Amino acid sequence: MTTRTARPARIRAATTRALPTALGSQAFLLLLALAFLAPVAWALISAFKPATQIISDPLGLDLTALTLDNYRRMFADVPIGQGFLNTAVVLVAKGAITIFFAPLAAYAFAKYRFPGRDLLFGMVLITLMLPTIVLIIPLLLEMKALGWVNTYQALVLPGAVDAFAIFWMRQVIADVPDELLDAARVDGAGEFGIFTRIVLPVIRPALAGLAVLTVMNIYNDFVWPVVVASSERMATLQVVLSTLAQNITGNRIGADYATVTGELLAAASIALVPLLLVFVALQRHFINGILAGSVKG
Amino acid sequence: MHKGVLMHPNQNTRTTGGASRRTAASAAGALTLAIALAACGPSITSGEPGGAEAASADRLQAPTEESPQGEITIWDRSGDLFNVFDAVIDDFNEVYPDVVVHHEAVDIDAKLQNTLITGTDVPDGVFLDDAKVAGFSDYLWDLSDVLEPYTADIAPQKIDVNSLDGAIHGVPFDLDPGLLFYNEKALTEAGVDATQIETYDDLLEAARDYQEAVPGSKPIHLEQSAFLGQLQLEMYAGQLGTSIADENGELRLDSDEYRQVLGWLDTVNQEGLGTRAEYLSPSDVGALESGDQVFYPWAIWFSFAPEQQLTETSGDWRAMPLPAWEDGGARSGAMGGSSFVLPKDGENADLAWLFYEFLMFHEDGYRAVWGENDTYPNGLATSIPAYAPAADPADPLFGPVEGLGGQDLWTTAVEAGEEIPGGAPAPTWWTGAVDYLGTNVQRMYDGDLTPDEVIEQSTADIQTNLVDRQ
Amino acid sequence: MSVLVAAERSRGHGAGRSVLRPWLPRKVAPYLFVLPFVAMFVAFSVYPMLFTLRLSFTDWRGSGAAQWVGWDNYAYLLGNEMFWGSLGNSAMLWLMIVPVQVVVGLLVAVLLNNAKLRMRSFYRIAFLVPFVTPLVAVAQIWVVVFDQNYGAVNGLLNLVGLPDVGWLTTSEFAKPTLALLFLWKTTGFIVIILLSGLQSIDASVYEAASIDGASRSRQLRSITVPLARRTLMFSVVLQTLAVFQMFAEPFVVTDGGPYNSTTTAGLHLYEHITRGDLGTGAANSFLLVIVVMGLSLVFVRLLRTED
Repeated sequence: MTTRTARPARIRAATTRALPTALGSQAFLLLLALAFLAPVAWALISAFKPATQIISDPLGLDLTALTLDNYRRMFADVPIGQGFLNTAVVLVAKGAITIFFAPLAAYAFAKYRFPGRDLLFGMVLITLMLPTIVLIIPLLLEMKALGWVNTYQALVLPGAVDAFAIFWMRQVIADVPDELLDAARVDGAGEFGIFTRIVLPVIRPALAGLAVLTVMNIYNDFVWPVVVASSERMATLQVVLSTLAQNITGNRIGADYATVTGELLAAASIALVPLLLVFVALQRHFINGILAGSVKG
Repeated sequence: MHKGVLMHPNQNTRTTGGASRRTAASAAGALTLAIALAACGPSITSGEPGGAEAASADRLQAPTEESPQGEITIWDRSGDLFNVFDAVIDDFNEVYPDVVVHHEAVDIDAKLQNTLITGTDVPDGVFLDDAKVAGFSDYLWDLSDVLEPYTADIAPQKIDVNSLDGAIHGVPFDLDPGLLFYNEKALTEAGVDATQIETYDDLLEAARDYQEAVPGSKPIHLEQSAFLGQLQLEMYAGQLGTSIADENGELRLDSDEYRQVLGWLDTVNQEGLGTRAEYLSPSDVGALESGDQVFYPWAIWFSFAPEQQLTETSGDWRAMPLPAWEDGGARSGAMGGSSFVLPKDGENADLAWLFYEFLMFHEDGYRAVWGENDTYPNGLATSIPAYAPAADPADPLFGPVEGLGGQDLWTTAVEAGEEIPGGAPAPTWWTGAVDYLGTNVQRMYDGDLTPDEVIEQSTADIQTNLVDRQ
Repeated sequence: MSVLVAAERSRGHGAGRSVLRPWLPRKVAPYLFVLPFVAMFVAFSVYPMLFTLRLSFTDWRGSGAAQWVGWDNYAYLLGNEMFWGSLGNSAMLWLMIVPVQVVVGLLVAVLLNNAKLRMRSFYRIAFLVPFVTPLVAVAQIWVVVFDQNYGAVNGLLNLVGLPDVGWLTTSEFAKPTLALLFLWKTTGFIVIILLSGLQSIDASVYEAASIDGASRSRQLRSITVPLARRTLMFSVVLQTLAVFQMFAEPFVVTDGGPYNSTTTAGLHLYEHITRGDLGTGAANSFLLVIVVMGLSLVFVRLLRTED
């Protein structure tokens, strides 16, 4: 909250009076926040408990019994390192494409008036409405035809120019004053130069928000990678997690519920910690970015 | 869905006006791209000839070279069995040094279907539940020829469950005879002698006696997972030599056999004699440990529980053959089990066959799988081999089971295995039927359906939604 | 603002024409800029959609020759209990999720919109933590925490003397439990979106209302809600799409059970695919797309009438 605090401060002063008591709202928010944090905290802590205790005493915590067994077994059982590596590759490639090409398209939609614009923007809206699952089989066959099954292209390209990102960035770029763009034009900047030298720097806070959102979406993507990356060497982190989870939810013949649960919590902790760190480090940009870029009232 | 939709007020700023001819150019470009893509896209009529000649082309042949070489990819479920099979690869390589085995732990349910459809990076061999084999038969090698030397020695139930239209689609892995697991200590304390149980009526009687001695107990396990419940139902029915469908895929639920089995389960439930829980879920384990649940009619793989999961009552459990449905009837039926399937699109399916042949039919192989190993120091006591020479009552592969008080589970299981009647093929839609039959059995436990209604509704739904839509 | 923009606009036009020929003509530029999106859209959305459409009229099972079956798959689905059941489940989940999310989200956003609120940034982070945790991990945590006998939630209930609840094993509770997962996972994001809507309301409106003696709750009803309506509707549309596309949550947590009470529209469609019944799956896809687009259009229409 840097540049935007000044203006809305007065509003907040006004809304304060619209609340019953500061104490009541504090209590409400605190309870809610604890409820939101509890499951994650529970998982992070339980991963260090002996597997049998996770099941038999989910709320208890015996500090003397803490162990790394769940982690040890999990590392032995699933290729989680390879999962991290693949996720990192996809993250960088797909993230870069989204963060550059989505604002570029959004810039055209926001600042140019050209025949076919509404039609093309309709495509963005249609893409937003298409459930991913609907396209799975034909996309898979398409990947087969292209020879892309079990490749990074297949993990990166479909959905790389994200429709929601375009949709959101269009709102953001529409707010960029036209005089800025025109001034650049007067100075002889080309259309593309205006985008890279004026638009991108101006919308930087929103771009930071987009970056966090994109990282999160890619990191959490699950359905498509499971389907298109069938080989172990291409498995992303979420695919590795689902392989473990399958032992519990699916046909768990011969699987020990407690052991697998322990391993799964260890894997889940390892998977969520990096994203949590990224988020806490960048949360200011993320939240401000979304605040800067959302639809207005 | 035109302008104004979710648009920012500043949206309609620029008005350059005038239609541009370039739209046409752009549209033409997109069209060209689409056509190009469509041309290299998949065809939905990649016609494959049917008939007799095709069938023989689908039959896998073993490699003929002295020492075949190549690489194979083998998929297994992650967990204990993965580790067991992983350890056998070295033994295999001593016999076939030039075959490189890539062993992967995979979420098979999520991936196999898609991988087979795309035909890319298809594994050479896959570990699969017997109940699921038929559903993939279109993609799998017919193993009749390679299995021929062994067929006579393989348990008939395993051949039947892997057979469809005269072809065999899986290398049978384990035989999973149903056994009656019981908590001997708790039963003895209550004055109930489980060894006297010979029929399901006896079991009912014993459960009533136990409940009288231990008020509030619910002695018999009733499965709450629709899938496992249906698997268990097929075990009960298998004892009577029947199954959900015959070898032509015709439904045969509407029979006295199913009425008897469902009627008995309904009685257990109605009289409050059953603990309804999902197999080895925390709730289930709780009731097993507390002595509330003392009878567990289940496949041999339940032995895993007293051995590794039931810390309190480990050692108190014993296993015996299942009760019979009538005096002198078969004392076991198969429940679950798995096989190895070889997809036609795998590059070296013939080498994968060598791997499975070694694993299942060579003494070094099956001894390594079921005998003492790093994962199971005492041997793999959760199943027995389906191959008769490996399943010799006099030559146990795994040792006495501590969780069962040192009982010789091998002999009990092998003898029970010999009682399993054949003639129980699995239809291609077996797993799909869980939505109907498996679910309706649960509704019966809820008290919403009678056994006759379960049969009637399941038959009608399976016929319309599965059989008629093949 | 509008006067300024209008002035800028006319000036911008004149200035634009005076520039020497740039390498990229202004009329071509926007087409080039949207080209990457359009190319991806054609390749990875249009083409698969057309393929799905064709598939929906066949009985293809993934291999072998496909038979043209006309409208059979559609007729079968439209007369099928489970298809309607899956849509019904999604509708029920929508009812459990969206209204709650809008009310709670707005309440939290209004509270967070207060600069004097202590620990404001802590709350913002706390509410967004579920949103950034991986779904597969979170869903699995749900399975363990809501276990009937050994879950932490029932453990807490027992502490205060309440009996165990079959959160995931009874059809009455499975849907709400799944809805709770969705609410927990996404409400933080909705709060931030709503917050952005609130911050754009001009303070003078509230000041005027206070002077006129409007009560606080009345201000919320007559000022905040109407003025934040666009943002509210935006959230509703966004979440409607998400709820009807919901797949991974039931897939991991309940696998559609018990008794298909959590088989969402998305999961039901996937079940056709895992069974290899691709033709029916494709027809189901199209029916679902029609439903989702229809719903979106309804909400978009509602939104437009507010202009």
